[in-house]
Amino acid sequence: MTSTADTTPLVEAVDLSKEFPVANRAKVHAVEHVSFTLDAGETLAVVGESGCGKSTLAHLLIRLLEPTGGRVILDGQDITDLNARAMREHRRKMQIIFQDPFASLDPRRTVGRAVEEPLVVHGVAKGSDLTDRVAKLFKRVGLEPEMASQFPHQFSGGQRQRICIARALTLEPQLVIADEAVSALDVSIQAQVINLMMELQAEMGLSYLFISHDLAVVERVSHRVAVMYLGQIVEIGSRSAIFENPQHSYTRRLLDAVPIADPRKRRERPLLTDEIPSPVWAPGTAPERVEMVEVSPGHLVANESEGER
Amino acid sequence: MTEQEKPLLSVRDLTVTFGSFTAVDGISFDLYDGQTLAVVGESGSGKSVTALSIMGLVELGTRGKIEEGEIRFRQPDDSIIDLVQATEDEMRAIRGNQISMIFQEPLTSLNPVYTVGDQVAEAVRLHQGLDKGAAHDRVLEMFRLVRIPDPEDRMSQYPHEMSGGMRQRVMIAMALSCDPTILIADEPTTALDVTIQAQILGLMRDLREKTGAAVLIITHDMGVVAEVADDVVVMSQAKIVETGSVYDIFENPTETYTQALLAAVPRLGSMAGQATPAPFDLVEEQLL
Repeated sequence: MTSTADTTPLVEAVDLSKEFPVANRAKVHAVEHVSFTLDAGETLAVVGESGCGKSTLAHLLIRLLEPTGGRVILDGQDITDLNARAMREHRRKMQIIFQDPFASLDPRRTVGRAVEEPLVVHGVAKGSDLTDRVAKLFKRVGLEPEMASQFPHQFSGGQRQRICIARALTLEPQLVIADEAVSALDVSIQAQVINLMMELQAEMGLSYLFISHDLAVVERVSHRVAVMYLGQIVEIGSRSAIFENPQHSYTRRLLDAVPIADPRKRRERPLLTDEIPSPVWAPGTAPERVEMVEVSPGHLVANESEGER
Repeated sequence: MTEQEKPLLSVRDLTVTFGSFTAVDGISFDLYDGQTLAVVGESGSGKSVTALSIMGLVELGTRGKIEEGEIRFRQPDDSIIDLVQATEDEMRAIRGNQISMIFQEPLTSLNPVYTVGDQVAEAVRLHQGLDKGAAHDRVLEMFRLVRIPDPEDRMSQYPHEMSGGMRQRVMIAMALSCDPTILIADEPTTALDVTIQAQILGLMRDLREKTGAAVLIITHDMGVVAEVADDVVVMSQAKIVETGSVYDIFENPTETYTQALLAAVPRLGSMAGQATPAPFDLVEEQLL
């Protein structure tokens, strides 16, 4: 699914960077010169391990965080410097679902009120229209409309995540960011929620930025995949390019690490102990900017220097 | 496992309740010397309560109650003790010494104000009566065994100075420091990144060859099961649904629950050659 020249991508990240100051004037380079595009109706998965910057990247895209450098372009418009008021209109187009559906719902509010809130805040609907829309959304995510009067603790983890999805869909967004949205769910529930997300994509033409550490899930859901390591995208390409023809040593290492659910394919694991280096840089130092090389159309790989990791 | 062999641990008709809730409902299984047995199931299936029952921690640390059943453990001198009936003194001699346990989150299992070296040393001094110097040497030996780089330096670090993977190595070192015959690992890699998980799984396989300890691994992850287990116990809603060798369970699961569980497991490589994403083919999902 490489974007063709005549269509504008839905989201474009241009050279995005985010640094966080830490003690002694050092900085964490959480996101380093990240660029990519995401087309309408497409799922771009962002994979990597803890601390690689994938969640920070998501927060930059919806401007929950301000970038230290670079631009975010949504639907052809640069939204990087828009003020809060101007952003409001754009926020409707982008929604986010988090990992822990319990933490993202107010325990003292009925789930119906949680789902209707975006409609009220944006003045989209009220009265019986509001109730109708909420009922429809509940049905759409596989819940009974009557459940709207219940509280979050009365639901299982999978149901709660369905509620969070319903809430994310209330304003008919174009982009949904799923930040480890299925990671906390049991595997059978996870599969159901993933299937639901795919159905919704087909129906509503949603674009997903699917952030995950689970490569087997990513292989299921994505059209394209970006692999992040220490704040940088080290490889990006179509799903088949990344999974069937991985080029970067880190991508290969990630893929090799995934346990295979087949006892006959048990692999020898070298007894490694090395770990990912720290993203904290002392004052005046910064990570080297890596160049991306296009190995085939749409498949970009970061140049690996002599010190291959 | 060979049939004539006497089991190391024999759980019979174990039932554990928490008030009116039955967390474990009449389960039975055996664990043999050197075997790696995986207890697999989803949240709330009773797998962790099973582990805590073996450790004698259900009635001590939680409000649970072992209603009935036996947990027969064969001690190194070949005598059999029922861990359900054992006194707290007897349990204390077994726990940590002959049966030890590692948990999902190594940070909460370690004391933040002592160095990791001191904490492992405390375990060996307490359980094995070693003096300070001998305990130090033993810790160093254990750190080398679990492949902690620069073990001498690492001993003087505090838990917060270590990564999750290193902390889990410390926990494994501590658990193995008294040469237990059974190691219970409750979701040992669940909180770890995938490359670190691979390292720890490799380490666990290596250690099993080196120490000969039987391993009871509790997990929800069928990938982990396929990587390390000889045999598998599948649990659902407090009961054992199916038991078999790892090959039986993955290749010929007889129970619908096991089939449904396996169908829901995302498998790397399953999408090769397909251009677009595809939903999971779920087996009678309403059953789950």
